[in-house]
Amino acid sequence: MQGEFLQQLYQSPPAGAARRRLEAFLQKQGLRYDQGVEFAAVFYDSQGEIAAAGALQRNVLKCVAVDEQYRGEGLTASVISALRAAAFDRGQRKLFLFTKPHNDRMFGEFGFYEVARTGDMLLMESEKGGARCFTESLRKGTGRQAAVVANCNPFTLGHRYLVEQAAAQCDALHLFILSEDAGLFPARVRMELVQKGVADLSNVLVHPTSDYLISAATFPTYFLKEGQIESGAGGALDLTIFGQYFVPALEITRRFVGQEPLSPVTALYNRQMKEILPQYGVEVVELPRKEAAGAVISASRVRALLAEDRLEEIRPLTPEVTWEFLQSPEGRDVVRRAKEGL
Amino acid sequence: MSPDMKITKAAAAGTMESSDVYVEIQPAGQISVQIESVVFQQFGRQIDQAVRQVLEEHGVTGASVSLNDKGAVECVIRARVETALKRAEGGEN
Repeated sequence: MQGEFLQQLYQSPPAGAARRRLEAFLQKQGLRYDQGVEFAAVFYDSQGEIAAAGALQRNVLKCVAVDEQYRGEGLTASVISALRAAAFDRGQRKLFLFTKPHNDRMFGEFGFYEVARTGDMLLMESEKGGARCFTESLRKGTGRQAAVVANCNPFTLGHRYLVEQAAAQCDALHLFILSEDAGLFPARVRMELVQKGVADLSNVLVHPTSDYLISAATFPTYFLKEGQIESGAGGALDLTIFGQYFVPALEITRRFVGQEPLSPVTALYNRQMKEILPQYGVEVVELPRKEAAGAVISASRVRALLAEDRLEEIRPLTPEVTWEFLQSPEGRDVVRRAKEGL
Repeated sequence: MSPDMKITKAAAAGTMESSDVYVEIQPAGQISVQIESVVFQQFGRQIDQAVRQVLEEHGVTGASVSLNDKGAVECVIRARVETALKRAEGGEN
């Protein structure tokens, strides 16, 4: 079927007119062009109109749509094949696909398996049972178990305080550190600092999140129309995955979270958490944040100070491990990047 | 018949379009073949045999092969597997 269409592969986000046309096409299909798109495959018909399209962001296939008049001609297969090939070239082996729930059977035919769904979102993955396999591979605890999910970008005394408080209220605390490499501090560094920084707390188990918590796959924005972000579809899928996979695998009964006075996105996520997690038998416990010099200690405050080169003010906000890292060659490199970023 | 082929990296070949097959190969300690096919009920065994035969012909002893088949005929399956193997060997980009 592909012969009747012109296939155009955009190795970087399409720009200018091509981008505007793709946005208009997706909008017509009820989808939103995502700012994070890194690759796009677009099929044009003989009139030069878009017949089908799909996009790739890291290891997530999204924005896959076929114009109504060309459905049933195998164009979805062409789009998925192009996206899979591009993902493969980019070294992405474990793929996710983000779509609407009614497309589950169609994408099932292309080797994708359901991870989780909400009313208007469906996440699928290329590895059969990948989410279950990951959560079951995590080290288990005993007794009353709870969880904390944090980015720790970087690890501060605020995180340390939250973990201490949470660990004191349960028998085993599962501490998840985001694996997504999107922030200032690389995932490997964040993980290492936390592991060293909580090593003295014997009932804390530190885990990576892989792709399954707060990642490009679980925290999408692309179905969200403006204004919908306010109503909070954002974290629902992520929290559903937490409830469906992490909770039973680790027998989690409570999730601790720091109060969020600063970031509206996190504050919204915390509110959604209180709505969704109780459905999975999990109590959400919000803990007050630790303060220093009249303001809460937060990683964003530390990053802002780094960017302004006010290192001496960071010291009272960070544990020894983080402070030491900032003095290391790799740490100085991060400081340099923080300064350049502003 | 080529001399023993060593799979050194992951590679893919083919598409998911009708009558084609999408093949992915990864290095592994032993041979494993996973098949998803629209005609698995009727031809699953033959596909598995064809794949293993291609591996054997190339002297491959360690590879994890996964296929997503859209009703490809045997010569197509063999060709796609062979292409993926050659890419995985590092002979082609």
